[in-house]
Amino acid sequence: MRERAREIELLALTMFAAIPLYATQTISATPLIAFHVALAAILVRVMTGRSPELIPSTVMRFLGIAYIFFYVVDAAVISRSAIAASTHLVLFIAIYQAIESARRPLDAQRLLTASLIFVASVATATHIAILPFVVAFGFLLFRQLIHLSHSETIALVAARPPEPPSNRAAAFYVCGTTAIGILLFPVLPRVRNPLVPGVVGSLSSASTGLSDTINFNDQRTITPDAMVVSRVWMGQEAVPFFTPLRLKGMIYERFQDNKWLQGARDLAPVPVRDGVAQIARASGFNRRATVQQRFLVGTRLFLPSGTYEIIGVPQVYEYPRREIYTAWQTRGDLINYDVGMAWTTTPLRIQRVPVTNYPVTPAVRAMALQLAGGQTDPMKQAARIESYLSTHFTYVADPAQLGKRMTVDDFLLKDHRGHCEYFAAGMVALMTALDVPARIVGGFYGGKLNPLTGYFVVRREDAHAWVEVFDGNGWRTFDPTPADLRPGNAQSGLLRAYASAINDSVNYFWDRYILTFGLGDQIALAAELMARARQSIVGVKQSARHTAQQVLSVRYLMIIAGIVAMAMIVYAIAMRRRPAFELLRDHLRARGIEVGPSMTMEEALAELHRTQPEVAAIFAPLIALYEEEQFSPHGRPAREAIRRRLAELRSVRA
Amino acid sequence: MTTMPATSRSFEFEGVVRLTRIGIAFLIFTIFIGFAAINTGNNALYIALSFMLGCLLLSGIASKGGLKHLRVEFDRIDDAWAGRAAEGRLRIANRSHIWNVRDVIVASSQLSSPILIPIIQRRSEIAFDASFLFPRRGLVQVNTLDLYTRYPFGFFFKKRRVRIRGEVVVFPRLLDASMSDDRFRAVEGEYHLSNRPGIGSEGHSFRDYVRGDSVRHVYWRKSASLGRWIMKQTEVEAARVVQVVVDPYKPRGVSDDEFEHMISEAATFIRDALARNLDVMLSLPRVSLRAGGGESPAPIFRALALLDPSHEPVAQTIDRNSIVFAVRRADARASA
Repeated sequence: MRERAREIELLALTMFAAIPLYATQTISATPLIAFHVALAAILVRVMTGRSPELIPSTVMRFLGIAYIFFYVVDAAVISRSAIAASTHLVLFIAIYQAIESARRPLDAQRLLTASLIFVASVATATHIAILPFVVAFGFLLFRQLIHLSHSETIALVAARPPEPPSNRAAAFYVCGTTAIGILLFPVLPRVRNPLVPGVVGSLSSASTGLSDTINFNDQRTITPDAMVVSRVWMGQEAVPFFTPLRLKGMIYERFQDNKWLQGARDLAPVPVRDGVAQIARASGFNRRATVQQRFLVGTRLFLPSGTYEIIGVPQVYEYPRREIYTAWQTRGDLINYDVGMAWTTTPLRIQRVPVTNYPVTPAVRAMALQLAGGQTDPMKQAARIESYLSTHFTYVADPAQLGKRMTVDDFLLKDHRGHCEYFAAGMVALMTALDVPARIVGGFYGGKLNPLTGYFVVRREDAHAWVEVFDGNGWRTFDPTPADLRPGNAQSGLLRAYASAINDSVNYFWDRYILTFGLGDQIALAAELMARARQSIVGVKQSARHTAQQVLSVRYLMIIAGIVAMAMIVYAIAMRRRPAFELLRDHLRARGIEVGPSMTMEEALAELHRTQPEVAAIFAPLIALYEEEQFSPHGRPAREAIRRRLAELRSVRA
Repeated sequence: MTTMPATSRSFEFEGVVRLTRIGIAFLIFTIFIGFAAINTGNNALYIALSFMLGCLLLSGIASKGGLKHLRVEFDRIDDAWAGRAAEGRLRIANRSHIWNVRDVIVASSQLSSPILIPIIQRRSEIAFDASFLFPRRGLVQVNTLDLYTRYPFGFFFKKRRVRIRGEVVVFPRLLDASMSDDRFRAVEGEYHLSNRPGIGSEGHSFRDYVRGDSVRHVYWRKSASLGRWIMKQTEVEAARVVQVVVDPYKPRGVSDDEFEHMISEAATFIRDALARNLDVMLSLPRVSLRAGGGESPAPIFRALALLDPSHEPVAQTIDRNSIVFAVRRADARASA
């Protein structure tokens, strides 16, 4: 690699290492852009054959000393973050080293700095798209390391041989490192140091599409967002009972100033026994499901409707609302847990539930009574209202299409069109008019089955509001929004659905087995490996026992005896057909004469004459027979004669 | 294939592996990332840690695996004189099915300078020139060579000592040519007969005529007396021959260096004699060797190379004109 090309590649590598930082928001864009502009200017200078000294080295050294003080100011005042200030510092060091390299070689230090920048990028990136960056960076880094190794070797021996190309070698070592990395990743111990708190917390600060209040004073806007909120895996038999999924995260039960508000609740720990936190009583059909969930609002759990127990979350709190649960997890933005789901659930403690404080007007009351149609059973009343709203009212998917602010009364009495929050609020108003306790529930609805992995995926764009009505024992779910128009029921083309499924499968694998891989997974992996090993041993033992039983049966014994007999016959025939040389060789060996591969029978006979003259006299005619057969143009087959004679000799000796 | 001789030997070390400066820095960096990963539980850092550990592991495996499968053999070595570089040729084969090995330094105390081989592809063999330097005469066993490499990433400096089977007879050290000039003056001009028929002026023998003989060589007087043609043969004029006698007796009190110096003097004298187109007859106890006139001098130098000192006086026939090389004790020299 020529020196200039290598320098250009090293600068490009350093710039490349910082690119993922734009997406991670670890530092703001301004210092990143400044960094890239400075390095690009140095790159241009190098490409045009000039020195990389963009700024004179002496000035740069002065700036280096000044930056020590700036770092403190940056961490305390400007960035207000040690991580951001440290990242700024490393970027400054990268520029400093690039300039300083004009005076002294700093290749090794520059590679380490580039690696540090890249690790900072990777550490704050959670998307699978980082992988191509890792591979590309590894390739360029290995090329540089191979070159550096070559340079330092030739410096040791004061020679300058041509450098062999390193592309294939770098690609080979990237593949090798990746393979070893994949093997190491699951087994590296996931034990956190309890003494020093982690410096990387949850990265999600995005809004959910759900809000703390349902405010009808403001016109609502919704931006479709395909980000996955939750993936739920359940057995095939459970699917008809628990889908479409409803992931509950908000409960609105108080009305004030044309706004629906959530009730307050102190932090109340849920007792966890043997890893199971029970939150309700189950009745009817029940099954377990596995949930992988992204934290959107703090560490709040979006539990599927029908959940009565949470498994695998060390600490669960009923917080910040009644019947809303939060996990105690300070790190990571994903969580995996299991839930127990039942067809019917009732609260652990019987409670009296008041009717909401919605100010029911006479017109709304009249409408409610009309829709109830004389029914006195609250559930039947709710069903009639749900049916009426879903069939006679128009669903507007995009709130912006409404074009105006609207009260719930307007929705019920005048406009008859709105989005899901109007439908839910309208039904709660009607139920309140009938003196039946009801509330609005916010969360996510739907869940598309991923045929490749078998789980249901719920996205942020599936945010929805529905209604729960209290039947005296527990809350029952009703959804007045027309079923086929609900967010989670949107249909897409087959190809798009499959592309989405593949994309989501990859993301699921990344989220589940990379981002959220933890100590529990390691224990499960070890347990599974041990179980499989045990199973394999048992299988081998059983197979061996079965084979032994078969072999010992009369039929198999007869077959084995037949094979042995056949083998003996073949051996006997082969021995009879051995060439004369081999017959003589074996007999001479018995006499202590080793006929080697480069030894003739004549030489063997000479040796025999020397050591055992009387035996040589017996063997001489036989060897003459062999030589006549072998070398005379009129030689006769001598093998049989030799064999007979040798057999006679053997019997005489015996 | 280009191989480069090198001059410095600062890289040599005992043991099989040494961590380089960049290796130490990378290791510290890995430990730092490992601590950060464990402390934060951030799996992205665990990914980085896995790759960095993989990198370290692969670096170790690659350099060890590469060197492990290298085989070195002697191809040839030219005449080797003590104290002078002798050009030779080595063959190095990479038997590995996986690893190409780069930047291999071949070093040995018997090589005049380390040799750098830029690349040895897997399952391939290369031959390269090597310059050997042996300090003393005699039979030298070249049993080991050291192979060093920093490849692939320069984190480790790996060494492997390979066994080779090489046996070199190192001829005695040659002194400056001027040292033997004085001894030459006394022996120049000696002629000896070769006792072989051929072109010359002295008569050698008679024989019967055979077809093709020139009538100029008919010995008429003898032919007339015998009644058949008799041819007269002359004797080839022998070259000038120098008789050299080396006495291996090393009395007590004579140092090894003195004895070696005597051998070097003899070898230098013989080399110079041959350079002056003289034949040399070397007499050693129980053996006489001749060089010049078409005969290779190598046996003579080989004999000198392998001559061991004798601690008892050895009987040798010394001709009046022989040049004798021997060592004496200091007191004997003083009295003489």
